[in-house]
Amino acid sequence: MSTVDTEASLVRVQREDFSIDEEINRVRNRSTRIGGIATFLGTARDRSNDRDVSRITFEYYEGMAQKKLREIRERALQDFDVLEVLILHRYGEIDIGENIVLIVVGAMHRADAFKACKWCIDELKQITPIWKREETPDGQVWVEQHP
Amino acid sequence: MIVTVKLFGMLKTQLHHDSKLNESELKVPLDHGCRVDDLIAAIQSMNADVGDLLLKRKILVSVNHEVAHGETELTGTDEIALLPPFSGGSSTPGEMLADVYR
Repeated sequence: MSTVDTEASLVRVQREDFSIDEEINRVRNRSTRIGGIATFLGTARDRSNDRDVSRITFEYYEGMAQKKLREIRERALQDFDVLEVLILHRYGEIDIGENIVLIVVGAMHRADAFKACKWCIDELKQITPIWKREETPDGQVWVEQHP
Repeated sequence: MIVTVKLFGMLKTQLHHDSKLNESELKVPLDHGCRVDDLIAAIQSMNADVGDLLLKRKILVSVNHEVAHGETELTGTDEIALLPPFSGGSSTPGEMLADVYR
């Protein structure tokens, strides 16, 4: 696999669900020096802002979203003592309980992996043009934040 | 020149009251050499609510996939978008920008 192909597989915005095991192995296989892998998995919950939620739809800005996710990965690799970072976000309609977003960080030591993983998901929510619409009993709501 | 502005989220319905469609683009006539501030003024004349959110930077303008400031000059070939608050971008828990709609 070329470097470009590898980087593309490590930062993705996709409609389909993903296998957490496969994504972890994608990071694990990048370096034999990895001694700890931290993950964050965001899933669709059925309650938000005191409303029941029956389904969530994610919309994203094609091109800019991928660019921002690549920047987050590159900054994490540069600013933290980690060996690999994978960032994956789904779009389209997502049922309650399904996977939404996955961050996987491999490092020599767990403390660095945890720190970088938290930074990545926090930064993703701040700078990545992705929008969430929830279906509630009152109608559809575009949500400004998902904690 | 006419610039094409991409719309996302609730802006697709807010800026197209008449059509009831989820239009994903807006055509805005501007003079050559215009800046982002001029685009915001033009949008404010079309929809004061959206214009106010742009002025307060609750809605951002991006040019060629980067968030732009008011002084950024625009050309007819730029890829321009209006970005409502991202789904994780607020510092106030539970805040919602859009109204509920059916």
